[in-house]
Amino acid sequence: MASTARLKFDGITKTFPGVKALTDVSFEIAPGEVHALLGENGAGKSTLLRIMSGVARQTSGDFHVDGEIASFRDPDSARKAGIAMIHQELQQVPNLTVAQNMFLGHSLRRLGGMLVDRREQERRAAEALALIDPSIDPATPIKELKVAQRQVVEIARALLEKAKIVAMDEPTSSLTPSEFESLAAIIKKLTASGVTVIYVSHKMDEVFRICQRGTVMRDGKVVGTVNLREVAQADVIAMMVGRELMQEEHRSYATRAVKLQVENLSSKVSAVRDVSFQLHKGEVLGIAGLVGAGRTELLRLLAGVDPAAAGTIRVDDRPLNLAGPRSAIAAGIGLLPEERKREGIIPLRPVSMNMALPSLKKFARTGLVRHTAVRRTAEDLLKRVNLRPFQIDRPIKLFSGGNQQKAIIARWLAAGSDILLFDEPTRGIDVGAKSEIYHLIEQLASEGRSIIVVSSELPEVIRLSDRVLVIRNGRIAATLERHELSEQALVMHAVGDAGTTVHSSKQEHSNV
Amino acid sequence: MSDLSATVPARQSKLFRSFSVRDAGTLIGLVLILAVFAALVPGFLSERNLVNILQQSSINACIALGMTLVIISGGIDLSVGPTAAISAVLTAALLVAGYPVPVALMAGLGIGMVCGMVNGALVAYAGLQPFIVTLGTLSTYRAIALIYTGGNPVLGIPASFRSIFNGNIAGIPNSVIIVALVALAAWVLLKKTPIGEYLLAVGGNEEAAYVAGVPIALTKITAYVISGVLAALASFILIGRLGAAEPILGNLWELDAIAAAAIGGASLMGGKGSVVGTILGAIILGSMRNGLTLMNVQAFYQLLATGLIILVAMMIDRLTRGRG
Repeated sequence: MASTARLKFDGITKTFPGVKALTDVSFEIAPGEVHALLGENGAGKSTLLRIMSGVARQTSGDFHVDGEIASFRDPDSARKAGIAMIHQELQQVPNLTVAQNMFLGHSLRRLGGMLVDRREQERRAAEALALIDPSIDPATPIKELKVAQRQVVEIARALLEKAKIVAMDEPTSSLTPSEFESLAAIIKKLTASGVTVIYVSHKMDEVFRICQRGTVMRDGKVVGTVNLREVAQADVIAMMVGRELMQEEHRSYATRAVKLQVENLSSKVSAVRDVSFQLHKGEVLGIAGLVGAGRTELLRLLAGVDPAAAGTIRVDDRPLNLAGPRSAIAAGIGLLPEERKREGIIPLRPVSMNMALPSLKKFARTGLVRHTAVRRTAEDLLKRVNLRPFQIDRPIKLFSGGNQQKAIIARWLAAGSDILLFDEPTRGIDVGAKSEIYHLIEQLASEGRSIIVVSSELPEVIRLSDRVLVIRNGRIAATLERHELSEQALVMHAVGDAGTTVHSSKQEHSNV
Repeated sequence: MSDLSATVPARQSKLFRSFSVRDAGTLIGLVLILAVFAALVPGFLSERNLVNILQQSSINACIALGMTLVIISGGIDLSVGPTAAISAVLTAALLVAGYPVPVALMAGLGIGMVCGMVNGALVAYAGLQPFIVTLGTLSTYRAIALIYTGGNPVLGIPASFRSIFNGNIAGIPNSVIIVALVALAAWVLLKKTPIGEYLLAVGGNEEAAYVAGVPIALTKITAYVISGVLAALASFILIGRLGAAEPILGNLWELDAIAAAAIGGASLMGGKGSVVGTILGAIILGSMRNGLTLMNVQAFYQLLATGLIILVAMMIDRLTRGRG
């Protein structure tokens, strides 16, 4: 039976009114394989996953699971056939316990189906968890777990349901490097027991580490299936984008003039403590560290979104009134949040108004907003950031992540901000738009703006930064100059010398 | 308006642009309902009856305009009826006591503003949910109106006051003119001022609006204050017509207002709503009531018809959006 593919797509085509989302998709995945599904946003990966997991149906073509034609009416029948999806945004109910979530919709009953058998659910949940992460207590509410742990719960649920195929959509988008390592170990265990894993990720390093083969898609078609042991990353990226991306050199526009000076800054609501640094005119300052170390929180503090407990911020040597985002914006600080959907965009409003939002007062000197002026500025700035499609009256939610990010950049250009704080500037953005964002950041720096970039992707930090602050446990653990930058150095400072730095939290609390 | 747009072509395209597809849908709904009643009720489309419909819709339209702004900001104002009652009994009491009309008017609008400010402050600063806050003030304000009057109506409102709200100019009732002016002001506020965009932003995504520097508390409080003031204004129209102010007036006004706003395209999730749509929604409800009354349909069935029209409107809204 070794010759039978675990999963075989045969000429899958999916059309939506006016759009052909998938065209004649055919490829095979072997049992126990970790197979990468690669492609830019919109290449058709998600549509394929949706069909495979019973959410959508193909227009024509078949797919086979273990040699048998599969036809799913709904996600539930796909689950019963052994296909489990781990979504990027985990679909769990935060207030329910781990065990309750694992049995959601299929709870075990007792007393003739009248009552839920919580004890048995928790016992079986513990059994499944024991195989991959015994530290998780099945009786804990999901909301008390970290994202990485929630993901483990989803994987354990797949095991519980005896899944043969586990599809993971961007599983590491909010994991730290060490959490990725444990995920990789879990995936190894899964495949050793015969489970097939489909792995969708934008992060090439990860894909090459844990996947054996990969299928590259572009514009709804399969470009090819490659053995990842035999090809180079650049070749795969070229297949994805249909052209070669130039590996570009870092360029620095940093001057010696101090733009932003932060002294002994501590947060009232997060772990950020006693942070001091300077940001120069034209400089791109990277901030690295583990997820949860306080990187996002530091940016929120600088942007006035989180309240400060102590410390000073000076912009152009003038002290900043730490009284919320409005005073930070007035001082020229603009935040480009990581979670654009939640903290960046007003989904139903046009791109132009999303851009104008912080500077409406400027467009309304007489009390009434001059819409022609807004349009003129929007056309000018959104052209500069290369918004695509160039429709400034269209609601922003209809644009891709990359174009939403461009609109937020234009927002701060319109507001006249010259200190831009990027939190994970390319998260959820595909490879092509990524380099566009990099170029924009460089261009902004070349125009004399000062930029801070927080990123979990070390190559990104190294590609962009003139200098990098490494944050650990809410404090600056190290400052690395351009010539000192390497992935090893960043990781080493981010995790600290594991043996020697035992933190005494009692001492740290004294300076709050 | 038509000659204005004919002479200034640029204006015309702008006006056209501000009239959205969703508003056009509401207008089609209104035309259909008018057509049905025109076929069933002789004289329904007479000028006099049409003016009647507008007059009968004016109170709900006034309340619904404030409600629309609150709903757009992501909130709801259940306390509009009792707010109107407080303002009505205070204004009437001052008039009866012999205070000049402008003083009584200002006091009535002022108390409406205070009621709105309390709602807004509780929502914006205490972080309570708008539904619960205004459910609480719904009872509280009603109780204040009842306690203040001892439960009795305030009678004997002077003709000088009544003529302002119950009179007419060239055959058009003053109440209709007043609400039309309010609608124009609300339209300008929503489409042309920063606060209008702030309302849409706060209701559309409060977190993002905060990060972008929108004054969240001020925006929310503004919406509730406007709603309170318009509730007071609506109560003037009612007591002008009746000549007396009852502390129990305005019962269930909030539901009619929410219905008009929703039919007009406001989303109870916030971030979406239209002044034109709300006015059309109020006229739809008014036409229904007027037509059914002329047909001598029992009140029970009128209630049924109103309920069904709301549900049908929402289903059509959902279906058309699903396809787009």
